[in-house]
Amino acid sequence: MLTIILRSIIIYLIVLFVFRIMGKRQLGQMQPFELVLTLIIADLATIPMAEIAVPVLHGVVPLFTLVILHFLLTLLTRVSTKMSGIISGKPVIVINNKGIDYKAMKKLNITIDDIFEAMRGLGFFSLDQVEYAIMETNGKLSVLPKAECAPATNESVGAKVEPAVIPVNLVSEGKIMKDNLPVAGVDENFVLDFLKKNAGKAKLKDVLVMTIDKNGLVYLQLKTGSKQTFENVRAA
Amino acid sequence: MKIFSKVMLALIFLFLIGISVAEEIIVSSGLKAVMSDCLYIETISDELDDVRTMDIALAVGDLEYHWKKSESDMCYMVNHKNIQEIGLEIAKMKVYQKENDPKEFRACMEAIKAYSQSYLHFMGASVHNVL
Repeated sequence: MLTIILRSIIIYLIVLFVFRIMGKRQLGQMQPFELVLTLIIADLATIPMAEIAVPVLHGVVPLFTLVILHFLLTLLTRVSTKMSGIISGKPVIVINNKGIDYKAMKKLNITIDDIFEAMRGLGFFSLDQVEYAIMETNGKLSVLPKAECAPATNESVGAKVEPAVIPVNLVSEGKIMKDNLPVAGVDENFVLDFLKKNAGKAKLKDVLVMTIDKNGLVYLQLKTGSKQTFENVRAA
Repeated sequence: MKIFSKVMLALIFLFLIGISVAEEIIVSSGLKAVMSDCLYIETISDELDDVRTMDIALAVGDLEYHWKKSESDMCYMVNHKNIQEIGLEIAKMKVYQKENDPKEFRACMEAIKAYSQSYLHFMGASVHNVL
């Protein structure tokens, strides 16, 4: 049993390393060859984990070979558009200004229901709302809505708005996010002083979340309590 | 690409080359040693009615030593169940040598030679193995 435990740890660490080195892509964003690779890796990893008679190298060597292959394919898709088309496929227009392209649909082996489902997922419930729809190489549908159906933007309605600011997380579940403090331009004492002044008897460990943005807007919520906001606390 | 990824890729590439070369060396040298030990035993035991000689006992001991050494190295690369036959035949050989059964003794030796040949079919680099 100890052997299986140790083998599992080794294989787990190697698979983790392999995925780490391969980059961060969500399952839905994977190109076909990346999905195939992920499935094979999952299968390869389990064999030496459970089969004591199979050397760990039998799992490790194919895993590493696939990593090299993956990088070669990625490199090929990067340097050559033609190869990229062969390996990953090309985006296909399934809805154009004439309506649904039945030939493209057949080529992609998808049904009308698939198109409707993908459209609904993007918030379009009628074909009338769509100017163009493109099936991407990762299997996701991208939709260009008709001008009259496109969501209004600040630009389209001529609204004047302040530039958006991203709040920085200072405290998360009772822990000060030390890496974020310099980003917000504050230090640990600022957080503790702020809590002393504004959180009553609550201590750091009682804080669920505390954020601050560029305009000095602080959002504070204790684990037991509702949210509080404080404006112009300090220009970060 | 980050330097970390580049270095890791280079290391993985070198590891794969290293492991392939190591396998070739271990398999070919190990099985060659077994074959040459067998040929030596064959020479010294040829046409002998009594195989209970010191020379043969020592030669079988050498064969066993060489095989065990190669076997432990090969176990890192192949399923050890697939290469256990030679060890079993050597054990039988030792018994037949002590009991003076030249016919069975030679049969074991032939089996070891055959297994050494057949192991090459699933270890090391060859088109047969790939396909």
